[in-house]
Amino acid sequence: MKRNFLITAIAILIVAIILDVLVVSGHVHVKFPWSHVPGFFSFFGFLGCLAIIYGAKLLGHFWLQRGEDYYDKDDEHE
Amino acid sequence: MSNFPLAIIYIIGAVLLPVLPRRIRSAFCLIVSVAAFVFLINLETGASLTFPFLNYELVVSRVDRLSLAFGYVFVIMGFLGGVYGYHVKDTLQQVTALLYVGSSLGVVFAGDLFTLLFFWEIMAVSSLFLIWARRTRESRKAGFRYLLVHAFGGSALMAGILLHLQQTGSLLFVHFDGGAASYLILLAFALNAAVPPLNGWLPDSYPEGTVAGSVFLSAFTTKVAVYALARGFAGLELLIWSGAIMAVYGVVFAFLANDGRRLLSYHIISQVGYMVCGVGIGTQMAVNGATAHAFAHILYKGLLFMGMGTVLYATGRNKMTELGGLFKKMWPTLIFFMVGAFSISGVPLFSGFVSKSMVIHGAEMEHLGAVVLLLNLASIGTFLSIGLKLPYFTWFSTDRNLKTEPVPKGMYIGMGLTSALCIAIGVYPALLYNLLPFAVDYQPYTAPHLIESMQLLIFTGLAFWLVMKKLHAEATITLDTDWFYRRPSRLAFNVFSVSVCELFGAIERLSLRFVRYLVRVGGNPAGYAVEATKNAGHILLRTEKPAREPSDFSPDRYRIPLGIMVLVVLLALIVILAWDFLF
Repeated sequence: MKRNFLITAIAILIVAIILDVLVVSGHVHVKFPWSHVPGFFSFFGFLGCLAIIYGAKLLGHFWLQRGEDYYDKDDEHE
Repeated sequence: MSNFPLAIIYIIGAVLLPVLPRRIRSAFCLIVSVAAFVFLINLETGASLTFPFLNYELVVSRVDRLSLAFGYVFVIMGFLGGVYGYHVKDTLQQVTALLYVGSSLGVVFAGDLFTLLFFWEIMAVSSLFLIWARRTRESRKAGFRYLLVHAFGGSALMAGILLHLQQTGSLLFVHFDGGAASYLILLAFALNAAVPPLNGWLPDSYPEGTVAGSVFLSAFTTKVAVYALARGFAGLELLIWSGAIMAVYGVVFAFLANDGRRLLSYHIISQVGYMVCGVGIGTQMAVNGATAHAFAHILYKGLLFMGMGTVLYATGRNKMTELGGLFKKMWPTLIFFMVGAFSISGVPLFSGFVSKSMVIHGAEMEHLGAVVLLLNLASIGTFLSIGLKLPYFTWFSTDRNLKTEPVPKGMYIGMGLTSALCIAIGVYPALLYNLLPFAVDYQPYTAPHLIESMQLLIFTGLAFWLVMKKLHAEATITLDTDWFYRRPSRLAFNVFSVSVCELFGAIERLSLRFVRYLVRVGGNPAGYAVEATKNAGHILLRTEKPAREPSDFSPDRYRIPLGIMVLVVLLALIVILAWDFLF
C-alpha cells in the first residue's frame, strides 16, 4: 500500500514537472514567485490537502466540535 | 412584451395553484416556469418598466445583461427544482417555492431600491416556509432563527435605503458611493451572501429544509445577494479579502461537518466566496467570472443538494456517521452526484472548470498573489470534501445494510437534466460565456491551465488516499457564528424571562405569608396584643422567653373589659374636639 502510493505519487510528479517545464513555463503571462517552480501545483495540492485536513481537525478537536446535543441539552423550557 | 416583470408570473402562479386540482399542481409549477422562460427570452436589454408610487417613479423592471444572466439561471433552476420535486404533494411547499423563485427574479430585475426591498422581504419569508415545511422540531427551531436573522438583515436594508434616499434623493439601484447608508445596505447584502461572520444562519437552516425545498434554498438567496453586490459594490476592496477568506472558511468548516447537506451548505459559503471576491476585484473579467460562477454554481449545487436529498429521501438519513455502503442500491444517484462533485471541484469538461477559473484569472490579472493561492486552496478543500470524502462515506466505506425507499422518477429526471447542463457548460463554455454581462476574452481550455488544474486535483486525491484510512466521520456538531445568538439566548431567556418570573414568585409568596399572618392576627387580635405586650415585657426585663403564639381565641380568656373600650372612645373624642378647638 505505502509502496504503491509512493510509486504512483512520484511517477505523476515527474510527469507533471516535465509538462510544467515543457508547456507551462513558456505560456504563463502573469508572473508570480511560484510561476518558475516546476510542479508547484502538485506540491500545493498535496500539502494544501493535508493542511486542510489536519488544520480543520485541530480546530475542531480543541475548540469547535461539540456533542450533538450541545444546543439542545439545556432546552428544558419546552 | 420586452419589459414584463417576471416576478408577476410566479406570483400569479402561486395564487392560482391552491385552487387547482391537486393532481395537476406539480405540472402547473413547471408550466409557470416555462411561461416565465418564454417571457424571459423576449426581454430586451435596455428595456425598463416604471410605475408611479407616491412621489417616486419605481423601476419595477430593468433589463440589462447582468440582470438577464441571473434571470436565466434562476428560471432554469426553478424549472429543474420543479422537476425534481414533482412528486411533492405539499401545497405549502409548491406555493412558497413559486413565490421564492418569483421574488428572487423580482430582486434581480428591480431597478429601484423600494422594489428591491419589497421582493427581498418576500424572498426571506417564502424561503422560511421551505424550511418549516419539513415539520420537525429541528426545522421549526432553525426556521425561527432564520427568520430572526433575516428580519435583522431586512431592517438594516430598509434603514440603509431610507438613509440613502434622504442623502441622495434618489431611489435608483445603481453603484453606491460610500457613506453610512451604503454600509447599512452592504451589511444586508453581505448577510444574505453569508459572508463570515454573518454566515451562521446558512449551515444552521439549509440542512433542515425539505428534500426538494433545500434544492431551492441552495440556489437563490445567496446568489441574489451576489447579484446585488455586483450591482451596488463592484470594485470594493473589502470584498476581495472577505471573499477569499470566506472561500477557505467554508472549506474548513465543511470538512468538520457530519450532516451531508450541512457539508454542502458550507461549500455554498466557500463558492459564494469566489463570487464575492470576483465582485470585489471589479474588473470586467472578474465580474464576468463572478456571474459565470454564480450561474454554474446554482446548477451544480442544486444537483448536489438533489443527490444528498435523494439519499435522505431513500434512507431517512443524512449523516455520514449513519450512512455507508449505498453503492449497490443507489449507484445512479452516485453518478449524478459525482457530476455535481466534479463540477464544483473544477474538473475539466465540467462546468466549474470554466467558471471558477475566470475568477482566479481575474485575480491573477490584478497581481493578487495571495488571493490566487487562497482560492486555489479552497479548490483543494472542495475536491477533498465533496469529490472524495462525502461520496466515500455515503456510498462506500462501512456497509450499514441500510433499507432504501424507492425513489420517484421525477427526482432522477431532475438530476439527469441538471447533470446534462453541467456537462454542456463544461464542454461548450460559449453557452455560458454568451450570457455574461461583458464580452468574454478568455479561453479556459489552454494547456497550462489544464496541467495546473490536473496537478492540483490529482495530488489532492493522493493526499486523501494517504490518510483515508485514518479519517472517520464524527458524530459532532461544529460551533459557528450562530453560537453568538444561540448560546446567549439562554442567558437572555434567564435574565428577561426566568428571573422575572422568579421575582414575581418571591413577591407572591411573601405577600401570601403576610396575608396568612393577618388572618391569624384578625382571628384573635386581643390575644396577639396581650402576647406582644408580654413579649415586650420579657425582652425588657430579660426574663425567660414565653411562647410566641397565643393560644386559640377564647372569649373568656381574651375578653377586653368594657371600661377600656369606653375609655378609648372617650379619649378619641377628646382628641378630635381638642383638634377642632385649637386649629
